[in-house]
Amino acid sequence: MSVFFISSLLLVAALSFGTTDDLGNPRFGSTLDNIRRLAAPAYRTVMFRSLEYAALTSVLCLLIAYPVAYAIALHAGRFKNALIAAIVVPFFANYLVRMYGWSVVLSDDGPVLRLLRAIGLADSHTKILNTGPGVIAGLVYGFVVFMIIPLYAALERLDTALIEAGRDLYGGPLRTFLFVTVPATRQGAVAGMVLVFLPAMGDFVSAQFLGGPNQLMIGNLIQDKFFEGQDWPLGSALTMLLMAVLLVGMFGYLRRARKDEAEASR
Amino acid sequence: MTTTSSPTSPAAPATPDTPAVRLDRITKTFGQDAAAVADLSLDIAPGEFFSLLGPSGCGKTTTLRMIGGFADPTAGTILLSGQDVTRLPPNKRNVNTVFQSYALFDHLSVADNVAFGLKRAGVPREQTRRRVAEMLELVQLPAFANRKPRTLSGGQRQRVALARALVNRPAVLLLDEPLAALDLKLRRQMQIELKQIQREVGITFVFVTHDQDEALTMSDRVAVMNAGRVEHCGTPEDVYERPETKFVASFMGTSNLMTGVYRSGAVQIGGGPAITVGACPQIADGAEVSVSIRPEKIWLSDFEPDMPRARGVIKDTVYSGPTTTYLIELAPGVTVAALEQNTARSRNEDRWVGGESVEIAWKTEHCLVLV
Amino acid sequence: MTTVDPQRRPGLPGLPGPDAPRRRRLARLPRLRRRGVEARPRFAFVVTVLFFVLLYLPIGMVVLFSFNSQKSLTVFKHFSTRWYSAFFHDHVLLSSLGMSLKISLVAMIGSVLLGVALALGLVRARGRLGSYSGLIMLVPLITPEIVTGVASLMLYKGLGVTLSTGTVMISEITFSISYVTVILRSRVAALNPEVEEAAMDLGATRWQAVRLVTLPALLPAILASAVLIFALVFDDFVLAYFTTGVDPQPLAVRIYSAIRFGVEPTINAVGTLMLAGSITLIAAALSIPRLFGRSGGLDLLSGD
Repeated sequence: MSVFFISSLLLVAALSFGTTDDLGNPRFGSTLDNIRRLAAPAYRTVMFRSLEYAALTSVLCLLIAYPVAYAIALHAGRFKNALIAAIVVPFFANYLVRMYGWSVVLSDDGPVLRLLRAIGLADSHTKILNTGPGVIAGLVYGFVVFMIIPLYAALERLDTALIEAGRDLYGGPLRTFLFVTVPATRQGAVAGMVLVFLPAMGDFVSAQFLGGPNQLMIGNLIQDKFFEGQDWPLGSALTMLLMAVLLVGMFGYLRRARKDEAEASR
Repeated sequence: MTTTSSPTSPAAPATPDTPAVRLDRITKTFGQDAAAVADLSLDIAPGEFFSLLGPSGCGKTTTLRMIGGFADPTAGTILLSGQDVTRLPPNKRNVNTVFQSYALFDHLSVADNVAFGLKRAGVPREQTRRRVAEMLELVQLPAFANRKPRTLSGGQRQRVALARALVNRPAVLLLDEPLAALDLKLRRQMQIELKQIQREVGITFVFVTHDQDEALTMSDRVAVMNAGRVEHCGTPEDVYERPETKFVASFMGTSNLMTGVYRSGAVQIGGGPAITVGACPQIADGAEVSVSIRPEKIWLSDFEPDMPRARGVIKDTVYSGPTTTYLIELAPGVTVAALEQNTARSRNEDRWVGGESVEIAWKTEHCLVLV
Repeated sequence: MTTVDPQRRPGLPGLPGPDAPRRRRLARLPRLRRRGVEARPRFAFVVTVLFFVLLYLPIGMVVLFSFNSQKSLTVFKHFSTRWYSAFFHDHVLLSSLGMSLKISLVAMIGSVLLGVALALGLVRARGRLGSYSGLIMLVPLITPEIVTGVASLMLYKGLGVTLSTGTVMISEITFSISYVTVILRSRVAALNPEVEEAAMDLGATRWQAVRLVTLPALLPAILASAVLIFALVFDDFVLAYFTTGVDPQPLAVRIYSAIRFGVEPTINAVGTLMLAGSITLIAAALSIPRLFGRSGGLDLLSGD
């Protein structure tokens, strides 16, 4: 299996140095043209936009998931498992249908905008679909579960005696939260950030369903090169670029995690 | 453990003198580490309750695993009833094991757990049913036949593990600290029960434990192990009363081990009194020795005539229900413990307290002089 | 248990917490009810409620409008099952459904068989080999699907294999194995090695010990991962999208195209059916271990 996976990645790497022939069929080669073409401003914009969207998604997911995981882990009592299941089950249900439903909810006549208009927070010109925030909302909706699970696991494991000791030592609930709860769950939060960032970076469905031509992400470009543009070598180069960004992030995380582990075991 | 070969030597006819288990110069090393078991030889007689006793890491469990076939000796041979089984896998050996974790099959009922070995051996179904029922009767669990192991208490699970192994009527039953997970009271009860069951079925038991009480209570013979070697092998009384090495003397119960120089029937303790130990013809005058006297063999009153005596100061008094232990300093740095039944001085105010001067006495035959 | 006198503790301004009289009332309640964390974080509760509303709203919309008698996605006229009957008369969609079921079934069987073998093997191969291959197993799990999709496509092109249902199946199996292995590996590692030894001690050969003792102990996790894989493969569209050929396309791919090129309310009906199907399967996967009397099935997903 690993052989299958690695050899196919190698092929992608190889083709990213290739060219297309007159009929548009991919040819392997050793040109750096594709890499050079990536530096074009249009691609650079998309690349940075993807990074920006994925990063914002991670942060937003953390901000949303923390209170949810906290409330469930520490205050849901015997409903804990049921509530977590209620979160996990729909997230593993069909991604396309969920994103499609989300686009209906966020549409101009959808319930969210109607509610915002009714309470005066939006006017008839406010849009969510076809905007950057729309795409980010889609990514958050798509991947927030990857943040909730590690956070929930960390908070669940958190000894409530620790919180009580914090109340003894620091007094206020806010200080306790900041000095006891947050540090104790830091690893879960970092894991969640990585788990959200990785798929968000490669996603193309959210930008397609919820964004417009100005919100394309790197995933959309790759898909376009392979299915519409038929420029496989460029698509491969884009894939390699994406993979490179992700690997850097992943190894950074793994090193960090290993360091944490080493510290914890000391 | 995957290779199956026929025994290298034909099975010798088992006579009553053939040991049930013979370990012949067994060595086991793991990688580059020091030998876990070093050049160990042992004979265990049929029907014997034999204990391997020692601190953790002394090689007792490794020895047991080699008898069971879960570890291959690096050198040496293992014979079961005269048959060489050194290279046989566990399923080809006529031994069964009671594991420390019990290792019950959670997806099977108690009865199916017990029947597992018989089914593997192809015993007819009717006979299997009967033997399982008998065995559950023996371990007092007939009412639990259809329960799942998870629903049983620790003591009950322990009995299932025992029944599952015994039902196969092995030549030897190996027990790897089977009582370690039980609480003290239950452990005491199971010790007695295990011994009764062993007498009833007459199977050779090889019992691994780090608890000397357990080994002394149950065993016919005990091998005290340390650092991969047998330090002393003998009856419980032998190893307790007449330990052959300093390690055994200090491992078995509390010992007052004092070092000094032997000279004509007495040991001069460095900076302390001379302890009269009686004549030791095998020890040369001027030799460095250790002398050991058990705390319960030190008199504090009711001295008999011609008992050697010494004076000391009470440092501490430890009351523990039926007995009281006094720590008595004979000289700076030389302290002995003396144990007394709480009969003579049963009330608190009758007992000595720190700082009081006392006289102790002993009998020379209770002194153990170890080179 | 540490008890903090609630009245001595100064309230922090701007912090969600019960007001003073209420706090006094709380102090009289049995401590146990609070699990020691006495202040209920109101802010967290509001976010949680909002979160659940937004989580289920899109799903609810899809389900609701699948029963709409009109084409509109904003105005619900009255109840009708016309989109369902439209789906059941659409031969293209039905053949896609059949294709998806076939792919999921094959992928489930294939990846579970190989995944169980791998999980058993990996745990035995301790040390360096085990930990490296463990790491490699994780890579497909965290790689974005589009990368694996592109990679598989390139591999097939490179090998000169024509894209077909077969290529989808092979890709799905390959990447599902990771799931099965990761789920089962922790279970295998948690097994008491003495249990297998006990089986051999009682006369079982090595293979019998695995078959009679180890596999039954893993059965709940195996079943759960099988169901999970079925649902994941059935719902997967990225990998299928990249590796599918001209045969009837898997349902998820078909839906993707349909959503992209003009929305037909039939999609609502198909979507509702798919949601119902996968929610049932995932819920089943989560509760299977419970049926066997083990606690908690959720660690399946967090991998703990």
